[in-house]
Amino acid sequence: MDLSTLGIKTDFGALDWCIVAIYLVGIVAVGVYIKRYITDVTDFIVAARGLKTFLGVATMIGTELGLVTVMYSAQKGFTGGFAAFHIALAAAIVTLLVGLTGFIVVPLRRMEVMTIPEFYQKRFGRGVRILGGAILAFSGILNMGMFLKAGSIFVMGITGMTSDLELKIIMSALLGMVLLYTILGGMVSVVVSDYIQFVLLSFSLLVMCFLSIKHLGWANIIQTVSQLKGQGGFNPFQSEGFGVPYIVWMFFLGLVSCAVWQTAVIRACSAENVPTVKKLYAWSSIGFLIRFLLPYFLGISAFVYMAQHTSLRNVFLPEGGEADSQVTLMAMPIFLSQILPVGLLGFVTAGMLAAFMSTHDSYLLCWSSVLTQDVVAPCFRNGLSSKSRLLLTRILILAIGIFILVWGLWYPLGQDLWDYMAISGAIYFTGALAILIFGLFWKRSSRVGAYLALICGFCAVAGLNPVRDAVFRLARSVGLEVTSVQAYVEGMPGARWSAIVGLSVIALATVLMVGGSLVFPDRRTASEPKE
Amino acid sequence: MNFWIDFWSWFFFLSLALFAILVAVVTVGGFFDVLSLFKTLARHRDQQEQSPSVRSDEQT
Repeated sequence: MDLSTLGIKTDFGALDWCIVAIYLVGIVAVGVYIKRYITDVTDFIVAARGLKTFLGVATMIGTELGLVTVMYSAQKGFTGGFAAFHIALAAAIVTLLVGLTGFIVVPLRRMEVMTIPEFYQKRFGRGVRILGGAILAFSGILNMGMFLKAGSIFVMGITGMTSDLELKIIMSALLGMVLLYTILGGMVSVVVSDYIQFVLLSFSLLVMCFLSIKHLGWANIIQTVSQLKGQGGFNPFQSEGFGVPYIVWMFFLGLVSCAVWQTAVIRACSAENVPTVKKLYAWSSIGFLIRFLLPYFLGISAFVYMAQHTSLRNVFLPEGGEADSQVTLMAMPIFLSQILPVGLLGFVTAGMLAAFMSTHDSYLLCWSSVLTQDVVAPCFRNGLSSKSRLLLTRILILAIGIFILVWGLWYPLGQDLWDYMAISGAIYFTGALAILIFGLFWKRSSRVGAYLALICGFCAVAGLNPVRDAVFRLARSVGLEVTSVQAYVEGMPGARWSAIVGLSVIALATVLMVGGSLVFPDRRTASEPKE
Repeated sequence: MNFWIDFWSWFFFLSLALFAILVAVVTVGGFFDVLSLFKTLARHRDQQEQSPSVRSDEQT
């Protein structure tokens, strides 16, 4: 989108580029320096299990508050208004409860596993670990595949850059820097860079919120949302807005993102001891709240700003319809480019790129570790040496980096990014949630139940509109009358359909886990470890 | 609707204040944790150099 055609221009200039460049060079230098401390795979993957509470909180928030989260959350605030705040509230409540009770994460830390599939092996055997690891990595890498896309939209919006080629070169260079320091320094590089990025990004977010309120005025924000969105802009229970199924789905997603999603769980596995895990989660509940809340507010502010400028209003809030998803995604960075002064614009962009990099480094390390530890290594009867694992993890980090570069930036996706991300994540976590809960707390859960729950996660792809349409076409081709059902489903808001599919798959995975365990219980031998 | 406007306004500003405190505490505390992590890793590296044949994770 060329900003000059909208009658606006960004003030992003040489000083801002200098600030961004100094930050990026500095962060890579730190990562490279840290390599000297890495002696084995435990140092590389879980930082020798030496993570203390404050650093744990910083790195957890640094990872989870990624640029992609900021972008999609701002979009949700733009489209959903203040009612979207319920998602942040749900995430905070669930994370705090996990911290207070130690639900899922404390038993995992006590078992001293590095990844969730490692737990699958201890509980259900090698086969479940390999299948679970492959599904987890597949789901996670696909999920990550869109991060570069979100990053590039942000850079275009805030800098006013219009050259597609320049943008691709910059994003490729950023990814290259992340790959360099992650391959060299592993988890130690990740936690140290996450700490720096946490500090930078947190201060940036606070400043952005303060300037948004100063520029627009709190009363003006409330009044504009109230006029244009009505009650649905504030009340999340309104059926034309989010509705009850979506709220329930958000509570499940809150649990998944803090206690089941591998990038968060690896922080629990890296913690010094069990009390640290609990403190880490209790403190991080504020981070899980903020990572949604502040970007939602920036999205709401962007909505108010666009509504009050005629040329922008026609593009972002067209009469009698909704703007395209790509357009609403751009609203927040364009808004920031208009309200932030020179210098601060560079500081904020560095903070956002910090978020971009901190998510990438953690995810790259996470999925490469899962593939090494849980898919490749268990296939070798005599295991793999520490040196071989370290080499393999580094090669996989590079391979995943190349994949996401091709997939996310150079490959034309042609579908809604939010749906794509939600569904790709659900392929893993719907099955994993059932396996973790029943595997940890129900002694009769069996290997067959675990296999069934894992495989059933693939049903989540029904939440994708093209797959849903293909299912209806298939049903009609075999003579089934589905016209009225299809019309009903297509009439639903997109968010509610994904919520219904997600909740249904979680329910199905639970039924299959319990049913499979009761019908096909494990036959334990004397040589097998007891639960 | 007024209930929700008041609720989200309080919720937002309270969260913002809480986050500002968290950022200050974690920034200071995290700095000391980074120093402590490097000490742990340096000790671990020294132990590895003194007894290179004993690799704790070799069997995993």
